[in-house]
Amino acid sequence: MTAFLLALVVGALFALGTFLLLRRDLIRVVWGLAIISQAANVYLLAMGGVAAGTADTVPVLAGHGEHVPETADPLVQALVLTAIVIGFGMTAFALVLSYRVYEEHDTLDVSELGDRE
Amino acid sequence: MTTPLAAMPIGTGSQLVIAPMLVVLVAAVGSLLFSRWPRARMAVSLAGGAGYAIAVAAIDWYVVLAPGAPGIATYQVGDWPAPAGITLVADGLSAFMLTMVAILGIASLVFSTRVLPEIDPRSYYFPLFHFLALGVTGAFLTADLFNLFVWFEVMLMASYVFVAYYGGPQHTRAAFWYVALNLLASAVFLLGVGGIYATTGTLNMADLARRLAEPAAYGIDLGPVVGLLAMLLSVFAIKAGLVPFQFWIPTAYRAAPPQITALLAGATKKVGIYAIIRLSFTVFAGAQISVDLEAPIVGAVVSGPSPLAFVGAVLFAMATASILVGGIGAVGRDSIEGVLAYSSIGQVGFIAIPVAIAATASSAELRHFAIVAALVYALNHTLAKGLLFLAVGAIRSATGTSRLADLGGLARRSPPLAVAFFVGSLALVGIPPLSGFFGKFLVFYTAARAELAPVLGLLLVGSLLTIAYATRTWNRSFWGARTSAVEEATVDPVQVGVLLALATVIVAVGVGFELVYQFAEAAAAAALDTDGYVDAVDPLEPSELEAAGEDAGGGEHA
Repeated sequence: MTAFLLALVVGALFALGTFLLLRRDLIRVVWGLAIISQAANVYLLAMGGVAAGTADTVPVLAGHGEHVPETADPLVQALVLTAIVIGFGMTAFALVLSYRVYEEHDTLDVSELGDRE
Repeated sequence: MTTPLAAMPIGTGSQLVIAPMLVVLVAAVGSLLFSRWPRARMAVSLAGGAGYAIAVAAIDWYVVLAPGAPGIATYQVGDWPAPAGITLVADGLSAFMLTMVAILGIASLVFSTRVLPEIDPRSYYFPLFHFLALGVTGAFLTADLFNLFVWFEVMLMASYVFVAYYGGPQHTRAAFWYVALNLLASAVFLLGVGGIYATTGTLNMADLARRLAEPAAYGIDLGPVVGLLAMLLSVFAIKAGLVPFQFWIPTAYRAAPPQITALLAGATKKVGIYAIIRLSFTVFAGAQISVDLEAPIVGAVVSGPSPLAFVGAVLFAMATASILVGGIGAVGRDSIEGVLAYSSIGQVGFIAIPVAIAATASSAELRHFAIVAALVYALNHTLAKGLLFLAVGAIRSATGTSRLADLGGLARRSPPLAVAFFVGSLALVGIPPLSGFFGKFLVFYTAARAELAPVLGLLLVGSLLTIAYATRTWNRSFWGARTSAVEEATVDPVQVGVLLALATVIVAVGVGFELVYQFAEAAAAAALDTDGYVDAVDPLEPSELEAAGEDAGGGEHA
């Protein structure tokens, strides 16, 4: 069930990201890129698999003798953490750059940008 | 926890492997600290560049070239052994690539110190320069797929800023498309990495190679691996600028400062080539899966016993298109860097052709020879294209323009500059005794040995196009009547000195080709020696691996 839900979320995010990427507004393009990079992160998490935890794998969560929740692969969690940091950094840079593009070109319309030399 | 780790045998471990990365990191941070004192910052940067060259030379000598050298050295970061830890590896292939980058990097760095006064001396130019070098070095040395992604990003982040560096309208626009494209490529890279982790359960390249060679023992389905490799290939092709992923190159190369464009063409591109060679031949070559595809329109059949058949077919197609698009595009450009940018697209095709031949080669000997050809050609392209882009920088700072229409008669105005440019052009065309001759000769010879007549024809067309645009650029800018821009030009002696030094290296590589060839052979042998790579990086038998995993109490390998 979790896997099915994750697949659905990844698919929806990629669809939304691609849709925004194809817009004429530069800010929407940046949003599209941000969403696609987050979609890749969710996908990465899904690829590690979400499995029932045991007291060995999640000692903190299982510490009080309660129900042990499902957890994602710890290696993948580490990878995603790195990918998120990189993704946010890049998105921030892309946003700053689009502001600079606006300053230089006085427009955020992609098709007008392409025409000017 | 510590006992099983300590009991694990670690291959030819050596701290030397991290030396270039440490040096360049210290240089980057050091030049950040000296932001208020431009002269001290330049001194730190140059010292960092020199230290980098020494570290790379030490790796070359102790790991590869010295008599009795081990040929491969590893460093387990934080003493966490592979496959769970991150391993850095310096073998022949990495060392060869590092050497290329080091030579060009030094030239570009010295050149930068002379251009910089025009730009704001307090800008973050030098730290970024070192971070770019750090990313490239890390990508060459890492043995972990996700780590490769991280180093790619380090390299790209610096290059984004450089493309936007001058901050004019065309620079911001070029930078935006460059950033957008590479962010997409990064997402695809992550998809490939995630898929490979899901199918094989590992990201360490050595572990991956071992598991792919015995899929049954690890319960791996090899089918998806070919597709995932295709995703990674497309990412690396974007970095290398192979057609159909070439469209960002002309604008980005025009926008970046010329001495950085030299690095983009000479180093960043080669990271893509390196990753293709490393992953295809060292990692994925061992996978036994029959590839059987039929292209519907051309009727060609792609088949073979490993994913290499697929890699070869794709590379053939991309390289063919690159040579034609790059060559034809370069002939009609109106500025020198436009010509050189398109030429880069064409030349990377010349590097990819022997890689494709190696992927489809039937005999191990031909495969080895083809990779040698690709490496020698890559070396020549790095030196020659680096020299030519730096020459564009010198011409621009002397005359203020690089448009062919505004130039003319430069040869009389500055004979040393003309000599350097001439040597670079000849190396690109492939005239003996320069490095370009051997590169071109080896590529042609590889195609002849593989008995591929159409490829020979293609290479011939590509070479003729190279001659056409090289002569055109030379005639337009260096011969003819002097224009007013050239008349008032003052050529910087240090810039020309750097160009002449690079020209000397090109001649030296051609004259002393024996040694270079040996180095390239060692590099190709390292690229094809999957067993050696696996033994050095991750020297555990499968049974030991499981035992160690259980002892350590980790569930990561489940």
